[in-house]
Amino acid sequence: MNKPINTIMVYIDGTEPSIVAAVYAICLASYTGAKLIVHYVINTKAMEDLLRASIFLEDEQVEYEHDMSADADKYLNYIDELAIKKGISIVQKRSSGSVHTEIENAVKENDVDLLVVGELPRMRSRRDEFFDETERAMRTLCCSVLIVKNEDKVWQVYESLV
Amino acid sequence: MSLIDLVVEKIVKIPLESTDKPGVIRELVQILKDAGEIDDFDAVLAAVQEREFKRSTGLQDGIAVPHGKTKAVSTLKLAIGLSPKGVDFDSLDGKPSNLIFLLVAPPGMSGPHVEALAEIAKIANSKAFCRSLVSSSSSQEVVELMRE
Repeated sequence: MNKPINTIMVYIDGTEPSIVAAVYAICLASYTGAKLIVHYVINTKAMEDLLRASIFLEDEQVEYEHDMSADADKYLNYIDELAIKKGISIVQKRSSGSVHTEIENAVKENDVDLLVVGELPRMRSRRDEFFDETERAMRTLCCSVLIVKNEDKVWQVYESLV
Repeated sequence: MSLIDLVVEKIVKIPLESTDKPGVIRELVQILKDAGEIDDFDAVLAAVQEREFKRSTGLQDGIAVPHGKTKAVSTLKLAIGLSPKGVDFDSLDGKPSNLIFLLVAPPGMSGPHVEALAEIAKIANSKAFCRSLVSSSSSQEVVELMRE
């Protein structure tokens, strides 16, 4: 019988819920033996939109892109360290562009079975349904999606891994 | 993080009392201070002023988005001010600004900062929604509109 989960991908953006999702993904990879891809998307599409809307200056766009690139390294390395502590090796993936498009492409390219994402904001407006990149990706992906909740429990599970 | 997570009554001021751009920026930073969102008023003000000095964040159709990055905050901070009479914000179309979003972020949170600004940019594109916001008579009404 085929294993139900061979490849897990977790999307991180530096927010606390996304880090918790990555921690849970490490636990899942440990229990299932699945390959774990940790994906950070530098949202250059949003920056282009801001430049077009004249909210950003060109040098501001460059500065933010540089900052986001540094953030990507920082968070990917942080998750890598957490994984190594539990004997798990991860595949770091970073890309640039529109978040939901990059997630969709990565899922297809890597034949991902399960996408893991952080808890979505509790308060929603109708506008958020169109604006939230993670939610947008979830609606269109071809693989299963797991939304990670309960930060305390996730860390407990992680700490209990040998 | 969604912009809506940041919108609560205590960070919304209607109407703004200031009648010029420097005054409005100070007033919005003071809102954050009064709401307990920031400790270092001067550092936050300096960050926003520094960005504003490079080029005005007054957009078109009465919207302004003063913003900045500073270590004086640890998470994204938003303040919203409404000026029914409008304030000269050196905007792109020369029109006074009625709806002002002030956003401050820490250096290590560029991603969420960019996404929050992008949400504001999309709000700015919806003229009908902006008209509804500007005609709000209370902070509660603004929060409700944003959450609809």
